[in-house]
Amino acid sequence: MRTPSQILLEAENVSRSYGPETILANVSLQIRAGEVTTVVGPSGSGKTTLLALLALLLEPSSGQIRVAGRDAGKLSDAERSHLRNTFYGFIFQTAQLVGSLSVLDNVLLPALLAGKAREKRTAARELLDRLGLSTRADFLPHQLSLGQKRRVALARALLLRPAVILADEPTNDLDLRRAAQVADFLLGLPADGYALVLVTHDQQLAERAGNRWHIQEGRLTPPSRGAAVPPPPAEHFVLQTSTNETP
Amino acid sequence: MIKLIANSLLRRRWQSLATLLGVALGAGLLLAVFLLYHGFEQGLERGRQKLGADLLVVPGNATVDPDRALFAGSPLNVYMDKKYADEARKIPGVRRVEAQFFTQSLKLECCSVGVESRLIGIEDKVTQRLAGMSANGREKLEPDEVIVGSELLGEMNRPGSMIELLGNIFRLAYRLEPTGTALDYAILMPIDSARDLAANSDALKPVWQDAGDPHQLISALLVEVDDPSRLKEIGRKLEDLGPLKVIRAADTFQRLKRLMNAFVFVLAAAGALTAIGGVVYLLGHFSSVAWDRKGEWALYRALGATKPRMVQLVVGEAVVLALAGAVIGLPLGYGLYRLAFARLSAQNSFPFVAPGGVLLAAGAAGALLLYAFIGFLSAAGPALRVAQLEPALTMAQGDID
Repeated sequence: MRTPSQILLEAENVSRSYGPETILANVSLQIRAGEVTTVVGPSGSGKTTLLALLALLLEPSSGQIRVAGRDAGKLSDAERSHLRNTFYGFIFQTAQLVGSLSVLDNVLLPALLAGKAREKRTAARELLDRLGLSTRADFLPHQLSLGQKRRVALARALLLRPAVILADEPTNDLDLRRAAQVADFLLGLPADGYALVLVTHDQQLAERAGNRWHIQEGRLTPPSRGAAVPPPPAEHFVLQTSTNETP
Repeated sequence: MIKLIANSLLRRRWQSLATLLGVALGAGLLLAVFLLYHGFEQGLERGRQKLGADLLVVPGNATVDPDRALFAGSPLNVYMDKKYADEARKIPGVRRVEAQFFTQSLKLECCSVGVESRLIGIEDKVTQRLAGMSANGREKLEPDEVIVGSELLGEMNRPGSMIELLGNIFRLAYRLEPTGTALDYAILMPIDSARDLAANSDALKPVWQDAGDPHQLISALLVEVDDPSRLKEIGRKLEDLGPLKVIRAADTFQRLKRLMNAFVFVLAAAGALTAIGGVVYLLGHFSSVAWDRKGEWALYRALGATKPRMVQLVVGEAVVLALAGAVIGLPLGYGLYRLAFARLSAQNSFPFVAPGGVLLAAGAAGALLLYAFIGFLSAAGPALRVAQLEPALTMAQGDID
């Protein structure tokens, strides 16, 4: 188990350029266990690129990213893949479910890729249950509503109990009620020891999350003052969703 | 991984089905070509073994198709004086001379197959040679014993069975292995027994009476020489003995072999084109898959699939498809082969031996391995491209369902 405030992920003077264009410039950031880190900024400011760098989906043009104290630049592809599989949980802007797999198998996808789906089957069902999707386990993604898909993506991100949850605009395209449900669930995760990195332009979500970093034209500005994460009520872990919700 | 592969194939069932059918047709054709080729090859080899001679000598007035006479085992009711056998033996360079006497039954009186049957009178030396070609062969026949071709008599065709030929009872000594020729429908017996049958049959009298007493006649001579380079010379000497026709086995064998090779070349070309077509088709299919599903592959990379695992997924899908297609294609190919075999056997003009179980299994295993390799080959390139996909691609893409 990770100890609270333990540094899990660290970016030090990280820059990323595409040709002559600099997307991120000298970004430094620490991600700690049990904390939320919120990054806000307008579209095209470099939020998603920062998330991709922290997630080892991209390599920085300069600077260093350390994962649990290890220099990510010195890791092999297999080690980076292993970390993406076990250390990170991803919530992308869109749910990114695989259309040919059932809801249950989509949740199990990280385990399927790691060859340990069998042992994670119960955990996957429990997560679906917690997220109010137990009756949808055998559905295909096209049979789900947008909110349901987003919750399946949440379950997939949590399946292997990663250290860091990276959420890219998790409430995008959701109506207010469903956005609030997803936010409640996400903001409850740090209490369980997860580090949550939240990239959003949803001001309401950012205010609730606190610890807001601003990004503008590739430059990251730390919060002016520390903002405590509001402790989530226990019931936030169960989304009260009608099972006959239509897609 | 197997789950992901199976899911992917089952969910895209029409696409998978089309690919399966393409592979099945290719694999089936290959198997049929393989079996036909080996059937021809074995038939030709058996024909050569059965002949066991370099030259076939028949009466000069006989209308002989060398292919049928030599390799298809088709006997002729033609006769010449048996003195030619003794004279042939005296020619320098001749190692062995065997005489044969051809006649026929009107039909098998008991256990009849309903058709006239060829009776071939053979000398003891021929009996010895044939014995070596059959699992239960015997080197000597009693006067009332016969050897029966593999396709005659059905269930009754087993050693010890009694059959009636032109009013005489004979005991079946053993049956011949299949040769794919008219010999499969022939009955062989000691040469003097065949002569007796012909002499005592009023029905057959018109066939031999112009030539004289059957006991003084033979139908053909099989001649083996010491030095194959002297075949032409010895052939000329044999023709000088009288009105005889000499057929050189080597020439006929080579001509038949060339004919067979040409035939097999056409079949093999069809098979090869099908296999190449399979590679091109699968390559196109998996290149398209690599492009169409790059969102899915990028997601897998983002969620922790290693590059080797990505290659396994893409190649695995291709190999499973190719193998499944080949498995479906094998019975199709066997059916096609059986059809061709039935047509060829009906003609009885070309030596063809049905390949045994081992060869059939080898052909099936070969087709499976070949198509597994084709699947691998066609997916390897796309798989490597998939493995190189930037996992960050998944951050920029829309929903992939």
